[in-house]
Amino acid sequence: MTAVPVPLAARRPRPLISWRVRQLMVGYSYLLPAALCMLATVVVPIGMAMKMSLYNDVLYKPQDYRFIGLGNYVRLAQDAVFWLTLWNSFVWVFGSVVLQFVAGFAAALLLHQAFTGRAVVRMLALLPWIIPGVVVGLIWEWLYQPNYGVINDLLIKAGWLHDRIAWLSSPDLAMAAVVFTNVWRGIPFFAIMLLAGLQAIPGELYEAAHVDGAGVLARFRHITLPLLRPIIVVATATRIIWTFNYADLIFVMTSGGPANATQITSTYTLLQAYANLDFGYAAALSVVLLLVMLAFTAAYLRLTRGVEEVG
Amino acid sequence: MHERWLLSRRKFLHALVGSGVIAATDLAWWEAPLISPRKAWGAEPVRFQFSVPEPTRITLVTSLVQRFNQSQKDFEVKVEFVPQAQARQKLISAISAGSPPDVCQVWDNWLGQFQAMGAVEDLTSRAKAWKHQQDVQDTAWQTVTVGNQIVSLPLALTLDAIFYRTDRLKEIGLKAPTPDWTWDDFLTIAKAFTKPDMNQYGYGMRGGGTWAVLYPSEFAYANGAEVLNNGKLAINSKEAVEALAWYLDLALKHKVTPPSAATDGFVEIVETFGRGVTSMYQHNSGSVGQQKKNIGAANFATVPLPLGPAKKRATFYFSETLTAFKGSRNKEGAWQFMSFMLDDEPCLMYCKTLGLLPPRKSILSKPEFADDPALSGFVASFPFAIVSPYLVYPGWGGRIDSDGVPLIQQAIVGKISAQQCLDRFAEVLKKEMT
Repeated sequence: MTAVPVPLAARRPRPLISWRVRQLMVGYSYLLPAALCMLATVVVPIGMAMKMSLYNDVLYKPQDYRFIGLGNYVRLAQDAVFWLTLWNSFVWVFGSVVLQFVAGFAAALLLHQAFTGRAVVRMLALLPWIIPGVVVGLIWEWLYQPNYGVINDLLIKAGWLHDRIAWLSSPDLAMAAVVFTNVWRGIPFFAIMLLAGLQAIPGELYEAAHVDGAGVLARFRHITLPLLRPIIVVATATRIIWTFNYADLIFVMTSGGPANATQITSTYTLLQAYANLDFGYAAALSVVLLLVMLAFTAAYLRLTRGVEEVG
Repeated sequence: MHERWLLSRRKFLHALVGSGVIAATDLAWWEAPLISPRKAWGAEPVRFQFSVPEPTRITLVTSLVQRFNQSQKDFEVKVEFVPQAQARQKLISAISAGSPPDVCQVWDNWLGQFQAMGAVEDLTSRAKAWKHQQDVQDTAWQTVTVGNQIVSLPLALTLDAIFYRTDRLKEIGLKAPTPDWTWDDFLTIAKAFTKPDMNQYGYGMRGGGTWAVLYPSEFAYANGAEVLNNGKLAINSKEAVEALAWYLDLALKHKVTPPSAATDGFVEIVETFGRGVTSMYQHNSGSVGQQKKNIGAANFATVPLPLGPAKKRATFYFSETLTAFKGSRNKEGAWQFMSFMLDDEPCLMYCKTLGLLPPRKSILSKPEFADDPALSGFVASFPFAIVSPYLVYPGWGGRIDSDGVPLIQQAIVGKISAQQCLDRFAEVLKKEMT
């Protein structure tokens, strides 16, 4: 019997695009719609704002429209109100976020305990976060109203106040008042985020530490805090960025007043764009705000590098 | 031909009956207007933006728009209600994007900027040929004329007067102010009204919004000051500084204003008067209706602004306008609607319901306005009313909000003097005069 020669399998032609590249392309094709959306709604407007910031673009002076290079930025550097608003922005952001974090952490630790009606309390604790910002602003504006607001009324009835305090009309108190409102609104955000983190920490760790003689503070310092660090970093960074751009409360409660005491850079930008129709200057303010945020985010990520992986 | 494209006799009859029913419904509606919203097929849409500071306006404007839609078949106005705080911003965005509404309710202090942007439609020829042209007050035409062009129709007029509590005056045994009262009379009454321990103050000073600057400016005219004198900026003249200092002393020295004065805007000055916290405030007739509900028509009255040391006074005219835009897609529809709103019945209803003053002389002389005691202070102010001097330069409107208001707030809380306030404001305004 003669052996039938078996034809050798033809060599498979090398594909035009390698398997690895094809895999990459599939991945990118999933990203493409979102990337295009981001390009159209974020990158292009930012580019246009940057271009606009280099022009003298006052809508009611179309005859003066021209390229002025860094003119708007020079004007900005000499604008005392801009520097005031930048300082106010830092007070607004860090005042709000630090207090929100501290109070939110305390609330999370409390809500983590077992007690009757915990589910209801957890739900109620979310309320300030659920209410829209504009409504929160209106409610607190009414509470602070010196002549017929509830806060002054209660303080006077309790005998703790003699003269009515104009919480939102005093340049010394207005910022504290709006920060307090923002803190009230933001506590649930931190409480829920940190509560979720607390629930993910295994109970055995606390039990073992307890057996080893660790007290409450030691367990908090050596177990709770390190294991919550990734959540703390992400939540704080997110909240800082949100608060920097969040102008609803201030806009509703004080419109930046009195005498610019609560004017933050976002509301000042809005004022320049829509009161003075100075879109070139407003664009320069927006670009500076963007740079400040980018610088902050980069610094924050550098400082907390690797923290996310700790848990 | 395919079978499914063939129309059977039965289907044809169904279609015929259906069309008849639709036509009959429309006809029935046409015979009895205002029963239901118009369903006129083929009418060209007219986009109308209307800003809403309070709910009454929604009902009123919806009703007027329905009446217009039912009064003719060519156009259908679609009204878009916008919160007052966002109205200007939304309009500017729409103009910049090349898609403005066909017609918009616009305050005349915005017109200068919009006209300079080249955004508003020149209505001069239409307005001059309009049937009510002669009946509209000259001052009303001035408020909507920018650079010799009529750019809007004045829908309603406002001018400022002083609201005061008649019942409280009787309680404290003071006589009601007469139309020729003076600054001294004003201060005496304000002091008499002020009882801080009872949370009562004489005068609801406004520190928030554009009018925080305009109200003291009106007082300044009573001291012989002017914003512009022969085309030169005179806002920081000696007379203007003295007048502002006197005005600020109401808060700083005499303390006849509530502690919240530095940020009190429209809502607050109206609310505090309505709740009995203040007993006088300065405003236009737009809050008359609200005060009738709050404290009752018998318990308050209005009187012109007091005469100052110069034996002069002024109140600033403003108008709420209907404005069409160059980018409008339906200019004819916009004009038809604008002119309809100034016809006898719509104009009367609009102004009467909102407590505003009609721009047409024949309507202003009707008993609803001429004989209402709550409006007497405004009607008596017509002889010395002037068009707001801040309308002269298009950039001034925005500067009042961005620079003027923070300055006046600083002055109200005593951080800067009247002189510093006006000097700095003059610098800002001067830059916008070029």
